[in-house]
Amino acid sequence: MTPERFAYLADAYGADLQRWPSAERAQAQALLDTGHATARQALQQARWLDTRLDSYRVPEPSPALVRQIIATAALHPPAPTLWQRYAGWLTSLGWIGVGLSGAAAGMLAVTLSLPLPPSAEALPSVLDQSDAEFVLSINAEEAEQ
Amino acid sequence: MNETDPDLELLARIGNNDAQAVQEMVTRKLPRLLALASRLLGDADEARDIAQESFLRIWKQAAHWRSEQARFDTWLHRVALNLCYDRLRRRKDHLQADSEEAIEAPDSGPTPEQQLEAQSQQRRMAQALDRLPERQREAIVLQYYQELSNTEAAALMNISVEALESLLSRARRTLRSHLAEAPGTDLSGRRKP
Repeated sequence: MTPERFAYLADAYGADLQRWPSAERAQAQALLDTGHATARQALQQARWLDTRLDSYRVPEPSPALVRQIIATAALHPPAPTLWQRYAGWLTSLGWIGVGLSGAAAGMLAVTLSLPLPPSAEALPSVLDQSDAEFVLSINAEEAEQ
Repeated sequence: MNETDPDLELLARIGNNDAQAVQEMVTRKLPRLLALASRLLGDADEARDIAQESFLRIWKQAAHWRSEQARFDTWLHRVALNLCYDRLRRRKDHLQADSEEAIEAPDSGPTPEQQLEAQSQQRRMAQALDRLPERQREAIVLQYYQELSNTEAAALMNISVEALESLLSRARRTLRSHLAEAPGTDLSGRRKP
């Protein structure tokens, strides 16, 4: 690293090499280790300003402000994401489905538990009277032909 | 980059309405946000407003935060910076008058004489910072006070690293010049007789 580059970086980033671009720190330190006068002077000048910059401290947040901000989180809860909304919708749909299945199962159970009526009218057969006559008449027509 | 973002887990917990996580986020971010706004605006009340507004954005964003996005801290700086720009645009004319009132004494234990001297130096520094052109002040605040890397600060300011270095260099020269004008100091930091 040239002394000019060193001075430029000290002018921009200050005296603490940790604040310098990481790729140039080692070279800067190597130049300093040689005891180069320009480099040392640049660093001293930078340190003078750093000390003054450090003197400008700002107050810590007051406990009242901390409380106020924490309270705003409760007033403004995070809006649900699209997935959360979708998941909520699916859950509602699931409950509706469960309800409908329950109703259907109930109806089936009631239906199955009822006794079958003894009369044939309740369960008509394909071989009841009128149908048998119809089948016989068709057979008779076919025989004539 | 995103795997190492230290705020991801906290954001997820806030997204799940975890009250403890809310408290942790405030403890972690509020001092830095307040410092950023205080030094950019030079006004303690406005800085508090900026901090509050920034946290409202955090609460809204937490559940939606995606790890593919920028680092959370960088995003938060951008939010706060934009809010500061709005303020600066709105009350540019009054900034100078407000700045002196904004400087509050830090909590410290030295003697009254040392406190007075520290306060005086702090006031001089705040005024010098306040007199910088806006972009130079922003560069110093982001790189020096907020301790962002040069690439992060440059990205936040939408400029190249070279342009950032140029701004920083000019800012520090101007500050040295302003502060050296103060009575009783020279550039080596020794008191003039």
